[in-house]
Amino acid sequence: MIELFIRLLRRPQGFIGVVLLLLVAAACLFGSALAPYAPEKIDFLGRFRAPGWQNWLGADQFGRDILSRLMVGARSTVPMALIATFIGSAAGAIIGVGSAYLGGRSDEAIMRTNDAMMAIPGLLLALLLVSTLGNGASNAVIAIAVAFAPGMARVTRSVALNVRNQDYVKAAIARGESASWIIFREMLPNVMAPIVIESTIRVSFAVMLFATLSFLGVGAQPPASEWGLMVADARQYMHQAPWGLIAPSGAIALTAIAFNLVGDGLRDALNPKDER
Amino acid sequence: MLSVTRRLFLAGTAISLASLPKIVLAEAPKRGGVLRMSLDQAASVIHPMLARVNPEYLVTELLYSNLTRLKPDMTVEPDLAISWEPNATLTEWIFKLRPGVTFHDGSPLTSGDVVATINAILDPKTASPGRTNVGPIKEAAAIDPLTVKFTLSGAYADLPVALTYLNARIVPAKVVAGDLASLSTSANGTGPFKLTSYEPDRRIVVERNPAYYDPTRPYLDRIELLVYPDRTSEASAMISGEIDVLLTTTPGEYERLVKTAGVKALRTPSGQFLNINLGCDQKPFNDLRVRQALALAVDREATVGFVAGGYGTPGNDTPLNSAYHFYKGIPLKKPDIAKAKQLLADAGYPNGVDVTLIASDRPASRTQLGVAVREMAAAAGFRINVQTMPHATYLDQVWKKGNFYVGFYNMQPTADAIFNLLYTSNAAWNETHWNNTEFDTVIGAARVETDEAKRTALYAKAQEMMNAEVPSVIPAFFDLLAAQRSYVEGYALHPRGSVFRLELVSLGAGAPKRA
Amino acid sequence: MSLAWFARRLILTAYTIIVVSMLVFAITQILPADAAQSLLGENATPESLAALRSKLGLGDPTWLQYARWARHVFIGDFGISMRTSQPVGPEMLAALSRSLLLAVSSILVTLVVAVPLGVLAALRQGKLADTGVSLVAYFGVSLPEFVTATLLALLLADTLHWLPATGYVSPLEDFGSGILHLALPVLTVSVILIAHVMRMMRSEMLDVLKSDYIRAARLKGLPERTVLFRHALRNALLPVVTIIALDVGYLLGGVIVIEEIFAIPGIGRALMIAITTRDLPSIQAGALIMAATYALTNTLADLAYAVLDKRIRYD
Repeated sequence: MIELFIRLLRRPQGFIGVVLLLLVAAACLFGSALAPYAPEKIDFLGRFRAPGWQNWLGADQFGRDILSRLMVGARSTVPMALIATFIGSAAGAIIGVGSAYLGGRSDEAIMRTNDAMMAIPGLLLALLLVSTLGNGASNAVIAIAVAFAPGMARVTRSVALNVRNQDYVKAAIARGESASWIIFREMLPNVMAPIVIESTIRVSFAVMLFATLSFLGVGAQPPASEWGLMVADARQYMHQAPWGLIAPSGAIALTAIAFNLVGDGLRDALNPKDER
Repeated sequence: MLSVTRRLFLAGTAISLASLPKIVLAEAPKRGGVLRMSLDQAASVIHPMLARVNPEYLVTELLYSNLTRLKPDMTVEPDLAISWEPNATLTEWIFKLRPGVTFHDGSPLTSGDVVATINAILDPKTASPGRTNVGPIKEAAAIDPLTVKFTLSGAYADLPVALTYLNARIVPAKVVAGDLASLSTSANGTGPFKLTSYEPDRRIVVERNPAYYDPTRPYLDRIELLVYPDRTSEASAMISGEIDVLLTTTPGEYERLVKTAGVKALRTPSGQFLNINLGCDQKPFNDLRVRQALALAVDREATVGFVAGGYGTPGNDTPLNSAYHFYKGIPLKKPDIAKAKQLLADAGYPNGVDVTLIASDRPASRTQLGVAVREMAAAAGFRINVQTMPHATYLDQVWKKGNFYVGFYNMQPTADAIFNLLYTSNAAWNETHWNNTEFDTVIGAARVETDEAKRTALYAKAQEMMNAEVPSVIPAFFDLLAAQRSYVEGYALHPRGSVFRLELVSLGAGAPKRA
Repeated sequence: MSLAWFARRLILTAYTIIVVSMLVFAITQILPADAAQSLLGENATPESLAALRSKLGLGDPTWLQYARWARHVFIGDFGISMRTSQPVGPEMLAALSRSLLLAVSSILVTLVVAVPLGVLAALRQGKLADTGVSLVAYFGVSLPEFVTATLLALLLADTLHWLPATGYVSPLEDFGSGILHLALPVLTVSVILIAHVMRMMRSEMLDVLKSDYIRAARLKGLPERTVLFRHALRNALLPVVTIIALDVGYLLGGVIVIEEIFAIPGIGRALMIAITTRDLPSIQAGALIMAATYALTNTLADLAYAVLDKRIRYD
């Protein structure tokens, strides 16, 4: 594990990714403590104040400090994406491994239905689900998780099929172990690595999808300082105060890049023969 | 304050200047040409009795006519009716129709069409929003082919104004008797334009009606209405010259449009407002002191800045502002946090009070008001949790049911209309359940009063009562903002926000040639 | 590739469409607040709501509504929009054609740009060009569409005035203007696709270059150019076909945001409007048509893959 991490850090991509990720984590953990202003404090005279010594990244239409909103908003953006990815991946992994374990007709039926789910574009599925559950951050998390699960199930199953044919699984089946024991104790641990890598990359999609839902008005709700919502709000005033648009856009991009870099780095580090 | 007064003054001048061309224009407007106008949302409904939003009202105004028409000063002028006369008790009205008017299919307009139209609007099965807005009509009867008599359920001085209502467009009697629903996909009116093509979410095209009753109008050959769902994109299209008139825009885009050469940004004060409805029959807002405390916590001038980008006028908890005929200027409430805290403590909330304020997501300014009020009222001890929801869900679950939510209303043609829409005990949308009998009496008396001075005094009293008792906090009125290319002539913003008069518009020098 | 294989694919596609239709129908049944409420808005009264609901058939049991709907859809009738009273099917198909125009143009632009850049990055592995390409690719895949769209519009339309910011003109009506109006949305979609395809192309190319097959070709003494373009590139291009088919799924989802921002009356915007106004027939038709398009594209891609694969491996 440590060796893997060192290999990850040796690559410039991996190193930059980890540094960026630490930055984002710091914002999530200490953002509200370090923020120079309260994120919701309105200031009539400071509306649309350009970046400067008072507001380093400028102020928005309510005169709220954008830097403070970004720092505090990290907590309502990144953990949400992580949770959504985690739930989606876990559900997908269980479906995928279960399907591989069952094999035959059941496997076929599960996977075909799974493929059918994948035919609905993720954003559309998420939109429909949020409209049903009601707007809001927690419902957006559920919607993203559901939208992610079929893809994860597909990835997991292809790995799990190999594991299924390994001797130790066959032995367990021969011993008459229960299905859940085989799935959770024998198969899942052995497909973890590819799932973790795939999930890491997916977090960046989750960050973007979550921001997109907020942008469309069905994700996080005002006065939250979720980054996608900040972009949506700032769009109205983008010619008066472009900083309101650029700062949260940058934050979203950097976070997504960080997860992409780390995910790719992990993949490379796991498969050292694949020097790319 | 100074800047606000100055702005009001300028806006007032703008109106009078804008209405001038109709009267003193020496040169006749040029005939011909194609006008492109942007809509900020789809005109999904072209059925005149079922239209609900401004783009839809615009389309039906082009295709149909009312009996009367609302002028920018909120008084009426003849349209399909050329004259009208009430009886002494204001319970019966006789309307004379304009002779020689024809529908687009060539059939003549008669009193039978008017009677059929009004009956259809009043029929609950039609589900027309006009049903509660065309006045207290009990019966409509055809006296002769060009005379209609309206019998009312009570005295009503404003019937000619009520008949300007946006759903009271006159349609042929044969359509009412036959397939009324066909008006959802086709049109047969007496309006200045005829429907050429209708793609609700994209483009609606109308062409000049050569048989319009006024032979000089309309001037344009064709109008194309284009739908732009994104306000920023819409303003960009105006700047790049793809559209000639922009229906409505936001403060942020307005500032960009003002700076653009070749574009004339338009602005007029209006009675359109945002309010915070307080359920006067439920805790905590059943206590007058809590309502007054909230009213004192809100900085109105700042609210105009936050929700209207400064393009508006501060409100004083009455639904009338200077755009209305019977507006009474009452000194503006100033924020007084200490007094608000005291009032809250007196009401039994020394440690503040927790409330959830609901704001629908359309228009976006509802949420903005919620966010701003949350912060302003926090100092006085209101801990407000702002909850947003989709508009359809809001209408279903909160509107007229909740006891603390953000409302948004267009300007109504008369003081009576807005008071009876929202604040009397038997108001169509009695959201606040203020149910103040003294207020009801005052509004009822004003409704049947023909003496201007007495009527003014009664409406002044009504406004003072609302200002003191705060059934809803009305912190800000919006100016209407729009834009046009400089070569467009004869277009003016109407404070009502839903009257457009494109048959007066023509294209002057410098207009692009369009096939 | 046999007839049986082809038949199996078709059955799977049909199965997909049936599952999607049930799923979408189920979701539309539990949407809070209905079309009647949304249509009547603040002027709704209990009587008018009831009248409209019965007119729209909102009162019947779910299974009955599904059966009726499925039967009609099967003969190509998607019903009447609750919002505009227009037939849904033709509206949605016209919208789909505009979205497909956007999608196909974007894919073409993507191929022209991404394939050469991906090959370049693979050939110059680890050099400046490779790093540059990777960097751009990372930004491309890490910006949500609404951000890319807004930034591009701010730059190319509002600041430089090179392109119209928004709107849709049918290229059939006015070709020049149609292409100009399409430019910004296509560019936005392409940025993301290019990043994706470029990364894929690079890694496939690296794989192929290391394969025994290429080594054999080199040993045969074939000129490097022939090895690269006749053998390596053609093999590396194969998986890209699949990737692009998969990207059609992304495209169809992504157009929701892009069409909303650029005012393109495509299927994404039609769906967005349908969802906010609770126009059930339009939601059902839109979602089903989108999913069917995706399923069919994938079937076609599989077909193309099978055909190309044979030709390439054994020529």
